[in-house]
Parts: sequence; structure tokens; C-alpha cells
Amino acid sequence: MTRGKRIGRRMLEELDEDIREHIARETQDNIERGMRPEEARYAAVRKFGNVTRVKEETREVWSMVWLEQLLQDIRFGLRMLRNSPGFAAVAILTLALGIGANTAIFSLIDAVLLRSLPVENPSQLVLLRWEARNAPNIHGYMSSGDCPMADLRPGAANPSGCSFSEPMFREIAQADLFSGTAAFANSGRLTMTGNGPATVINGQLVSGDFFRTMGLKAAAGRLFEVTDDKAASAPVAVLNYGYWQSAFGGSREVIGRTMELNSVPFTIIGVAEQRFTGITPGSDYDVWLPLSDAQRITDPTRWQNRSGDASNWWMTIIGRLKPESQLAQTQAAVSGLFRNEMLHGSVPLFHSGETAGAPGPRRDSGSGFRREMVMGGTPLPGGGNAPTSMPAPPPHAGSGPGPAVGGNQMFGAPIPQSAGNKPVILQGPRGGVPGGPRASETASGPQTLSTVADNPEVKLVPAQTGLTGARGQYSNPLYVLMLAVGIILLIACANVAGLMLARAAARQKEMAVRLALGAGRARVVRQLLTESVMLSVLGGTLGVLFAYWGAHAIISFVSSNQPRPLGFATGVDLRVLGFTVAVSLLTGIVFGIAPTLRSTRVDLTPTLKDGAGSSASSGRASGKWFSIGNALVVAQVALAIVILVGAGLLVRTLQNLRNIDVGFDSHNILIFGIDPTLIGYKGAQVDSFYRDLQGRLSEIPGVKSASYSMGPLLSGGLMMTMFHWPGTPQDQNSEADVLGVGPNFFETLHIPFLAGRRFDASDFKLSASNTGDSPGFAPTPVIVNRAFVQKYVGKENPLGKRFGESEADGFRPRSPGFEIIGVVRDTKYSDLRREIHPMMYTPQSAGGASFELRTAADPQAILPAVREVVAQVNTNLPLFDVKTESEQIDRLLFQERLVARLSGFFGLLALVLACVGLYGLLSYEVSRRTREIGIRMALGAHRETVLKLILRQGLVLAIVGAVVGIGVAGGVMRYLASMLYDVRANDPVTMIAVAVLLTVVALAACYIPARRAMRVDPIVALRYE
Amino acid sequence: MSTKEQKERIELLQGTLDLLILRTLLLGPAHGHAIAKAIEFNSDDVLQVEQGSLYPALHRLIKRGWIAVEAGVSENNRRAKFYRLTAKGRRQLAVETSKWDKLAGAIARILRSAEREGES
Repeated sequence: MTRGKRIGRRMLEELDEDIREHIARETQDNIERGMRPEEARYAAVRKFGNVTRVKEETREVWSMVWLEQLLQDIRFGLRMLRNSPGFAAVAILTLALGIGANTAIFSLIDAVLLRSLPVENPSQLVLLRWEARNAPNIHGYMSSGDCPMADLRPGAANPSGCSFSEPMFREIAQADLFSGTAAFANSGRLTMTGNGPATVINGQLVSGDFFRTMGLKAAAGRLFEVTDDKAASAPVAVLNYGYWQSAFGGSREVIGRTMELNSVPFTIIGVAEQRFTGITPGSDYDVWLPLSDAQRITDPTRWQNRSGDASNWWMTIIGRLKPESQLAQTQAAVSGLFRNEMLHGSVPLFHSGETAGAPGPRRDSGSGFRREMVMGGTPLPGGGNAPTSMPAPPPHAGSGPGPAVGGNQMFGAPIPQSAGNKPVILQGPRGGVPGGPRASETASGPQTLSTVADNPEVKLVPAQTGLTGARGQYSNPLYVLMLAVGIILLIACANVAGLMLARAAARQKEMAVRLALGAGRARVVRQLLTESVMLSVLGGTLGVLFAYWGAHAIISFVSSNQPRPLGFATGVDLRVLGFTVAVSLLTGIVFGIAPTLRSTRVDLTPTLKDGAGSSASSGRASGKWFSIGNALVVAQVALAIVILVGAGLLVRTLQNLRNIDVGFDSHNILIFGIDPTLIGYKGAQVDSFYRDLQGRLSEIPGVKSASYSMGPLLSGGLMMTMFHWPGTPQDQNSEADVLGVGPNFFETLHIPFLAGRRFDASDFKLSASNTGDSPGFAPTPVIVNRAFVQKYVGKENPLGKRFGESEADGFRPRSPGFEIIGVVRDTKYSDLRREIHPMMYTPQSAGGASFELRTAADPQAILPAVREVVAQVNTNLPLFDVKTESEQIDRLLFQERLVARLSGFFGLLALVLACVGLYGLLSYEVSRRTREIGIRMALGAHRETVLKLILRQGLVLAIVGAVVGIGVAGGVMRYLASMLYDVRANDPVTMIAVAVLLTVVALAACYIPARRAMRVDPIVALRYE
Repeated sequence: MSTKEQKERIELLQGTLDLLILRTLLLGPAHGHAIAKAIEFNSDDVLQVEQGSLYPALHRLIKRGWIAVEAGVSENNRRAKFYRLTAKGRRQLAVETSKWDKLAGAIARILRSAEREGES
């Protein structure tokens, strides 16, 4: 203790005595002046002033008095709460639910949207983003899901994207505009062997400077250097920390060991630091490989000499700004390089090499398709790492020197649900698009990537916001949920404020006494605010617990839908805690302020005179906050209605989606992907492999039938094709979904035929030959759906109808076109929300595939047998995406289920809170009006009359609240419209149902206090005072 | 104390009480009641300190080290606390006094000139 403090303490100890002494002297003086003793003492005391305040002010001189007072207030507050445990429990629980819900959702928002990139100085990193007025004239475009997919379809206005060609990257990197320049892209699916059974992992290809640019360190071994990213260097790999732990048990001996990826031996040189799971939010790569190894692990048919091809854009570029340079200058410099390349670089001619094109949808891209299906696939949070593939050069069947026909294929074409995160491949419109700006140049040989009129340029955007990754698909539902929990917190505040008001009434006398005894008003306000903040802090503490459980439950729900771990680190960090603390304090002040101010504005005399805060005076005094109480309840009910309506709409959306007729029997189907091309199967080998496997699989006991297709239905991905329909103008492209299928596909999925026949062996042979380098003249047989017939064929007989035939041109081989041999029922293709489009099924040839097994009972049960059968054929072929069709649909509806479940829960919570508020108010009313009720009953009122009296008040409040709430909901719900399916945002059924539900529950809440009022014994009530 | 007296009483400006205490103690150590009395007496009863407020002020001055406290015996042989000016307090008084003079002079000049303008 310092000397000053010691003195202070002694002085304070003696203060009482000093004051007594002082007053005694003054009294003595007064007596000497001739006053009578009592008078003298009275005058002395008056002259001295408020002793209590003097003592307090003196004490304040010496101490951190606010702290002492705070402790005092807290002690007092705790005592008050102990004295009314019911009130305390309800208030704290209410606040805990409100704050907990907010913290839980905020921790998700924090993890998904706010957390900064796990690299050094993330603010210096910028993402390169190109913009132009028209789609560039390129023939390959791949987005790795790092930022929103560009719409490169011909005619799309102002496309933009963040994929660039490798030559462009090398040029920018050499220009030394940044202190570090890095490029990266998905490696595609990698089959990993050499560490136990073969597995499929995700990799990211990165430039040699990647880790240095990010400022990352190795957890073990070393990271890439520029020399690792040279064509001549030996293949090396850096492991993700999490993958290192799970696959290799975190052993350091793994450094220097070899792992085989797609049959290429890679030496493991190091492990990246733990915090770095990937540069893009939500991404979770198992390994990083140098860009120079891309060709080694990629199927040559898909590789297409990408490295040197300026018209194949496939990598994302990030730069670290030099500290001394201006963003605008750097941007102008980069943009200049880009523009130069776009306007003056020439487009190489069609690579006729490996992939002599197949007509239309059946090109040699079969293997590519399988991957693209996955890419466009299920909306995985880890979707950023879904495997990808390279677009083969478009093997479009010829387009004449005019309008192009033939198959422009778009994989995972940008549709709302799938456009967010998934890597999507788009075949650039090569050689011009019908009606497009460059149509006339089609056959005129080399041309530029873009024109001056297109104004191609590059923008530098902060990497933090530019690399959206999996954020995009989550931000909307998260904001909706945040809004819902925000409203819940408001309800909780209103609820507790109502409770406090009722208590304030009960404590009016206490306050009057305090004020009368000389307590400063500010001091009383502080005391009361301390109490309310204390409540909210206790509520907040409990709320963090709730939030922890809640966030945990949400995460595990999310994880149960993922084949892979969530790429977001979630948990309660400082920001979340800060948020909770802020919310708690704010809450305490918000709900505490009204009752507090009300309490201290007491007219002392009547309050003190009044016996027990009973009927007459408090009835009068309560007139005012009685209406505040009513208003609070109305607000709670209205807010609860808003949440309930939202929840109702989302739940109905989920129901509608679940009840959709998908067009095939989705029960008892096991699906899994398999891609023999990854380990070197080629052409006809692939087809015979599938046929062999199909036969073996259908012999497994319990399997009714087996088939395969390029991708499973309802996986989120799709493939489209463009063709020319006879009878339409030459420059008009027709569009249809397309899916390659194996034998028995329709029988296996239970898709009924409406006309025609199924594919037979000769169809597959024909398809395979048309897929080859020199397609024949016989059109490929296709089976179409009813929508196709309705849109293109009309009333004619569709069978035998031919379309899509085209001649070869400078870029594409000739296409023999298609012939319809059968019509099947409509089915949903990529996902449930997408409308049914015209669709054609082709006999699948080559490429990766997804198998579908129709089982007699639980599909999961036959999985071991399936693995065994596959292993018999080839032990190095891993299965991937193994799931039942029902699981697949569940995953497809994952977001809807999550949102419906959470909003349903929050709706329930809001309902309960609002009813607790109503119950609290009415209980208070009843106890306040006990005497009045007693008198009424003594004067002959019936019990039913009393019951009605109370119920009526509750009902009126509930109905007024419901009406207001429906009004508000009608205005707010249209922001939900994009999340709804088959239900309108102002759906009257939902609104009325919700209002009725709330009224009924509210009546129940009113009934308890009303019954208590009914049981009032007049004699007891009148003796109440 | 009549209402009239109360109206004639001038409330002390914040901080002036400190100055008055220091000035009073310049004459020699005194106990609390005596200080109050002295202030009232020396101002011809115009300044009537609410005596209680003396104590926070005394404690404040002690904390700042401008006055010190010592035990003693008062004129009528009662035990009492005597407050006395420290060297630091003496210096502070000089500073405060000159500050006060400047302030008072300035305010007086303003008020007088306003008065003259009012007359003219």
C-alpha cells in the first residue's frame, strides 16, 4: 500500500469522528449564540448538509470509487435477484436464449464471412479480375471456385472472371509489378496410391512463388521454391497440415517419401503451417503441387498444351502489392499487359491432336464429363476443392462459313444454385457464335482474343473480398438467420423490459425511500442499470454456453452432409466474444433504460404514504406503464409473427422441394463414382471396363439391376449442348440438357418409356465410333424426354426424327447428328429447383462414370460387396462420392434443410418468448388487480366474467400484435423470395396459419393467470392490504 | 436560518473552496470547524460554506500534498485534527491566487464595461 493510500485510509476511518466533532462544535457555537440545545443541534446539522453525501464524496477522493460502488451495486443486485429467483431465472434464461442464438449465428458468420485470410498481411494481397463488354474469344475456361463463375455464354453482357491463361500469368509475374505474384488452380481429382489402399484426394496446383507470396512457413520440411516449378524439376508435393495428421499421423518421417498421384511419383518435401488450409475461404486441399507438374497428372486429352495457350484460361492470380506502389498504378500496369495480350495476341488454331472431336455431346470428353458433373456438383462447402477438369478443345462438329451449329457444350452452365462456388467449365464459343459479334470471322483463321470495342481490362480487388469461395452460397442464408436471431434478441429485450417494468412497480417504494434518504438520482439510475446489465451479463455468459452447443450442433449437422470436413474453422474467438460482450451490455442497457428512468421519476410523498403499493394509487400510477407493458407485448407478438412467417415459408419450401416428383424412383439406389482414366485406361478399354463391372455388380445378391451414366442425377451438376434443329433459321441455336448413359439406365432408375425403344449394343457401338477421330455418317441414336418432344417436335411422331447434323469447318470435324429412338418421362436433372428442360440421353462411351445400383433393400448394406467386386477388377481404383440417391437428395437440399430447421427452431423460440412475455404481463396485471377483482366478485361478478376480463386483454394484445406482425412480415418477406420454392413470399395460408397458431398459444399463456384471477377469494383479496 | 439569508448566500465556484482553505491555513494550522468559521467570518458571512463540503475538499488537498494533518488539542482542550499548509501548498496558493486575481480582474472589467455601455 502506498503512503498516500495509508493516509487516506486513516483519514477515512476518522471521518465519522471528525464529522461528529464538527457538528458538536457548531452546536456548541450555536448554544453560545443563545439557541436552545435541540434547536442548536438541528441548525448545526442543517448547516453541515447531507452527511451521507459528504462521506461518499470524501471517500471518492481516495478511491476508485466507481469500482467500489460497482461492487456494491453488484452485491446489492445479486441480493435482489436472490430475493426474486423466479424473475431472475426467467430474465436470465430469456436473455441467454437471445444472446446465445445471436452468438451462435455470429460465430458462423465470423467463420465463413469475416475471418481474414490465413496468410501474412492479407490486406496487401490483391486478386486479379478481368472484365470486358463481351465474352473473350477463348476456347477453354476453368474456374476453380475461388470467385464467382463468369457467364461466358455467347451474348452474356459484361462478363468478368478471375481465371487467366498461363502465358498471361508468366508475363505479369515477370513484369515485377508486385512484390510477389502467385497463380493457382485445382489439380482435379487425384488418385493417391503408395499409402495403404488407393484413395481420392484433392490437390491445388500452385506457382513456385505461391508460399513465399503468401508469407507462409513450413510446419515440417520445406515449402516450394521457384525452382520446384520448372518443367525439368522432379515432381514434389507439400501436404496440408490436416491431411498430414489424418493420413500420415503427423509423422516427420514422411518428408522425403514418395506418394503416387495419378500414377506419378511425387516426393513429399514439406507440410504447410497449420492455420493454412487454403487461400480461398472454405477450400480444403490435401496437397499442393507445382504448376509445372500439372501436365504430368492430367489426362493428355484434357491437357491440351494449356501451358502455352493464351486462349485457355484456367488459373487464378494473386499479387502482393509492393508497399511503395499505388494500387491504381499497379492496376493500370497489369491492365495494360492484359489488354495488349487480348488485342494483339493471336488465337492458336484448333489443336487437332489428341481429341479429334466427336460430334455434339459425345466427344471424347467422357472422362471429363464425370469430373465436371462433380464439379458442378453438390453444393459442398468444401466445394472449392471439388475436382475439376480441363476442357478439351471444343470438338464441335463443323460450322459452315456462317452460323455455327454443332455442340457448344456447357458444363455446369451458370444456373443460380450452382453458379456460386463450384468450378465450372465453359467451352468458349469458338469461331464465333451465331448472331454473335464475331460470327463473320469464323473461318478467317487466327484472330484476337478480344476487340477494342470489348474494352478488356483487369481490376485489382482485395483478395479478402475477391476470393469468395464457398462464401457465396452461405452468405444469404446466414444473413437471413442473423436477422432472425436479431429479432429474437429484440423480443428477449422487450420481454425482460416488461418483467423489469412490473418489478419497478413493485420496487417503487424502495426507490422512493432511497431518494428520500438522499440518494442521488444518478446513483439510483446507476444501481438499476447495474442490475439490468448484470442480468444481461449473466444471460450472456449462459448464452455463450448455449452458443457453443448451438454452433456445435449446427456444425455437426453441416458435417453430416459433407463427404469432407468443413473448410471453415469455427469456434468462439475473440471477435465472437467481443460481439457477445457488446450485445450483452447493449441488451442490458436497452431493456434496462425505460424501467429505470420510470423508477426514478417518482413522486415521493404519495408513494411513501401508500400502504403496500396496492390498488388505488398504483392503479392510477400504473396507467402509464401499463400501456408501455402492453406495447412491449404487442411488439413481441409482432416480431414473433415475422419470424414465424419466415420460418413457415422456409419450411414449406423444404416440403415443396421434398414432395417434388423427380421423375424416377430415388429410393434404394446406391451411387458411386469411378474413373479408370485416372490410372491410364483409354478409349475402348474404358467401355469394356464398365461393361465388365456392370455385369459383375448386377450379380451381387441384393442388387436388382446396375447401370452407369456420365454423372448421377440430382448431383447439382449438368451438361448442356447446342445444336441446330431442322426447320429453324440457320443461325439459331437450340439447346438441350444432355447425359450419356450406359445400358439398362432407364430400367435401373425406373424411368418409364413413353415411346420407342432402349439403347441396344449396336447403339453403343455406333456412338463409340462417332466419338472417334472419324465419325461415320449414321446419326447417333438418342433418347429424349417429353419436354424435348414438346418443345422441338410438337405433335409429329418423334421417333426417327434427326437433328444436329453439321459439316466440318476449319475448327471442327463433321457431325453426323442425332436420331431420336425413344422418348422417356421427364426427370429432374441437376437439382430440384431447376425446371425440367428438354433433355437428350446418349449412349455413353469412354470417360469417367457414376454407377447406379438398384437394390432390393438398404443400399448401404451391399457396399462392402461392391468394393470387393471393384477390387477384383483393379485394386488401384478408388470409389468416390459413394452415397445413396436419397442421401444425395438430402445433400442437395442441405441448405434448405439447415435453414428450415434453424428458422423453425428460432420461430418456436420467438413464439415461446412472446408467450412468456404475455404471460408475465397478465400475471402481473392479475396480482395488481387482485383487490379490484375481489371487489367485483364481492359485488356479484361471476367467475366466468373475471376469466373473460383477463383473457380478453391477452387476446386483444395477441391479435393486435399478430395484425401488426403480418403487416411487417408482408413487407419484409420479399427479401426471402430467392430462397423460396413454389410458395409466394406473401403466402396467405402461411400467414394465417401462423397467426392462428400464435393466438392459440397466446390464449394458453393467458389462461393460467386468468384462472388465478378467477380463483381470487373476495375476502382474502379485500383483506389484502 | 431564514430564507432571506439563504438567498444572500453565494454558492462557491468549483475549486474556489480549495483556494479559500489554503488561504485560511496560511495564517496557521486550524481544525475543520475553525476553517469553516474563518471563511464565513472573513467574508462577512457572505460566503457560507455548506460545512460538509469542507471535508471532501480537505481530503482532496491532503491527497495532493498541499496540506498536511496533525493531531493536536483545541482551545477548549478537546482532541482535534489540525490541518496545516505544506511548502507545496504554499507555492500552490501563490499560483492559485494570481490565477484568481487575473480571472476576477478580467471578469470585473467585462462586467464594468458592460455596465458603462448600459448607462450610456
